[in-house]
Amino acid sequence: MAEEFEPRIVAFLCKWCSSAGCDLAGVSRMEYPPNVVPIQVMCSGSVSPLYIFSAFNKGADGVLVSGCHPGDCHYIKGNYYARRRLNLVKKLLEYVGLEPERFQMSWVSAAEGTKYTQIIKDFVKELKPLGPQTKLRRDR
Amino acid sequence: MAKIDELKEEARKLLQEGKVKYIIGYTTGTDGWSAVPAFIRTAEEVDRIVWDPTCVHNLTKFLVDEKRRKSRSRKPDTRPVGLFVKGCDSRAVVVLLQEKFINRGDVYLLGVSCEKAGVIDDRKLAQKLKGKKPMKVELGDNGRIVISTPEGTLEVPAEELLADRCLECRANFPVVFDVLAGDKVKRAVEKPYGSLEKIEKLTAEERFKFWKEQLDKCIRCYACRSVCPMCYCDECVVDSVNLSVTADTSAEEKAQRIKWLQRSAESSENFVYHFVRAIHLGGRCIDCGECERACPLDIPLRFLNKKLEKEASELFGYEAGFDAELPALIACFRDEDPQDFIR
Amino acid sequence: MDKILTKKALARWGKKLRDSRVFFPRLSADGRWDYVEAAAADELTLDVRQTAVPPKKILFPQREVLAEFSETVEGTAKTLELKEALPEDGSVVIFGVRPCEGRAAWLLDKVFGGEFTDPYYWKRRDQTTLVGLACGTPPSENCFCTSVEGSPHSEEGLDILLTDLGDRYFVRALTEKGERLVSAARDLFQNPKPEDKKKVQAVHEESAGKIKRQLKEARVISEKLTGLFDSPLWDDEAMSCIRCGVCTYLCPSCHCFDINDEIESASPLQGKRVRTWDTCQFPDFTMHSSGHNPRPDKASRLRQRLYHKFRYFVEVYDKFMCVGCGRCITLCPVGIDIISVLDKVKSHGS
Repeated sequence: MAEEFEPRIVAFLCKWCSSAGCDLAGVSRMEYPPNVVPIQVMCSGSVSPLYIFSAFNKGADGVLVSGCHPGDCHYIKGNYYARRRLNLVKKLLEYVGLEPERFQMSWVSAAEGTKYTQIIKDFVKELKPLGPQTKLRRDR
Repeated sequence: MAKIDELKEEARKLLQEGKVKYIIGYTTGTDGWSAVPAFIRTAEEVDRIVWDPTCVHNLTKFLVDEKRRKSRSRKPDTRPVGLFVKGCDSRAVVVLLQEKFINRGDVYLLGVSCEKAGVIDDRKLAQKLKGKKPMKVELGDNGRIVISTPEGTLEVPAEELLADRCLECRANFPVVFDVLAGDKVKRAVEKPYGSLEKIEKLTAEERFKFWKEQLDKCIRCYACRSVCPMCYCDECVVDSVNLSVTADTSAEEKAQRIKWLQRSAESSENFVYHFVRAIHLGGRCIDCGECERACPLDIPLRFLNKKLEKEASELFGYEAGFDAELPALIACFRDEDPQDFIR
Repeated sequence: MDKILTKKALARWGKKLRDSRVFFPRLSADGRWDYVEAAAADELTLDVRQTAVPPKKILFPQREVLAEFSETVEGTAKTLELKEALPEDGSVVIFGVRPCEGRAAWLLDKVFGGEFTDPYYWKRRDQTTLVGLACGTPPSENCFCTSVEGSPHSEEGLDILLTDLGDRYFVRALTEKGERLVSAARDLFQNPKPEDKKKVQAVHEESAGKIKRQLKEARVISEKLTGLFDSPLWDDEAMSCIRCGVCTYLCPSCHCFDINDEIESASPLQGKRVRTWDTCQFPDFTMHSSGHNPRPDKASRLRQRLYHKFRYFVEVYDKFMCVGCGRCITLCPVGIDIISVLDKVKSHGS
């Protein structure tokens, strides 16, 4: 029996909001798919486009960047810069032919454990029919 | 075609009075017809300077070299450098000013207007000439390019030979200059990003096939990076200079060192290199087309950088290289920046 | 062994080599000539201008895996296994090699051979047959092979030399490999007539005269270089260099490389040791781990390129390392012309 494809998602979560929201989901024993590899960053504004390209290069099927809602950034402006910079990254990846569903961004606050689980559930559901990411992955 | 006699007079005066260290302009190369960069140090040498449709190069790159030279010297010569700039080149100077990489007083700009024409693409010229050897290329009065060959003179409508970027140019004359030759006329451009349409119209699969075919050609010579005035980082993402390896470096240290991409010219690594360069040029690339011209394998790099130029304009209302007071694209934001892609 | 091959029979020769990988220069969709591997349906043709990338990319590829290493962990014991990764078996035939590129192969043989042989290069070289094509007309505006003791019909480094006689090729097999390749398809070839040999000589003599660019007295220039190491001449000539590396990457005889470890997993340790092309024109090429760089500026790097091509190789092998293909002149984005620089060397101080 063939194993169903399980996408691997790399999620860059900002420490002050999204990572805390992810922890809240865990502490509240909410169930959501285990496909995520969470990486805590200090701020979504500190996520360099290199991290995203590198994740796809190493074989990630999906990449998520999640930060505080606009106006709530712990460093005041970081998420605004992220909003601009990662919009450019998204446009570039789509332009080169990567499926648009593979790179996503979200605002998740420290209280939004439920929202986080919903984002992951939706993400996994969207990635399953796409299959493994082969376009940018490095051949071993 | 703009006449540069007044600019040459100005150049002679600047050199005689010692007001500039040297002047960077164009002169005719060893093949007898196409221009190459020239470094003019004395008033007598100013006669070597030419201006014709083969003056393709973006001379702003040499300002980066000049800055490095100054930083290595104990008592640097603080006089400015004279620089011949076209419209596109002047935008590159503005970007360097925006980023405070150079000061306005470091450069004396001798601007030349393209007067609704531009510079030629040497591949298009070679196709047109079909083996005939050009002796001189000039812009005629009626908007036609006049090419002299041993077999006679050829006149071709400029649009057939101009570089693609010139056909979409929005800066036909320098946006910043100290002296200007030629008229400040703008060519009307209907669709400033029209050349992207043929790629944007393709499906995602077709786009990937196109880019994979093109980027598989890349041999990672980094000519595109070397020729770009905006790529001035001392240590580039791809050259981990500071992480040197000695005989004592353990395998664990080597394994855990951050290496964003390998040196091999493999498909996936080539993608990462060109992605990173395009993103680092987002809101900074002024479409001088030099990267595409320098590439020995004719990879259409303009289409990568231009896509982000278009997005910067349409999403954020940002245009690089027109206003030296503007902050960099990714160092500023607006409250109304689009966030429809964010969940 | 001398033979005649009609142009019609050329395609059939190509088809007979189905158990080898066959390369020949082709015009791509974007108007570039390149040595491309032939697919089963491709027809072998030999009309060619100069390719941007010379055939060195087949004998000395941009990326060469040298060894693979992997670690196995059993409890606290770690064993590291190192496996040499030689190129795969399989014969290769490259058609349409220009005589200058053949001579470059001869030069690379000297570099990778001699007292210490490079097994990766030689595995490929021994499996490869180079079928050269004499240049009836110069492939490039900037050819100057005759100035560096080469010629448009030189046989060095090649296994077979073809000369175009209009409707047929004069085929001269120069080595055992070349003779084997011809014998494997012997029914396609005829014996040459006396007028064929006369025509070949005429074509060869005429072709040297068609080369437009000359570097006069290259040996004199080579001698003069010994005294000009510290000359300010190099600062002036290198002013417009943007150290892009195109001249060296696309030079048929340039062969500098870098070695890196490509780590696939850190623990347990697994990866490959890989050799990639490198160039003396990059600023950090001579960077020492102490931070000192003996060639920190463009002038010293341009000087290095010229000395390597026109002095050091002459001292060691009594041959120019430059084969006169002119690619560095054609492709330099800022128009640095090696012939013009060397002419200035000749007239320097006089």
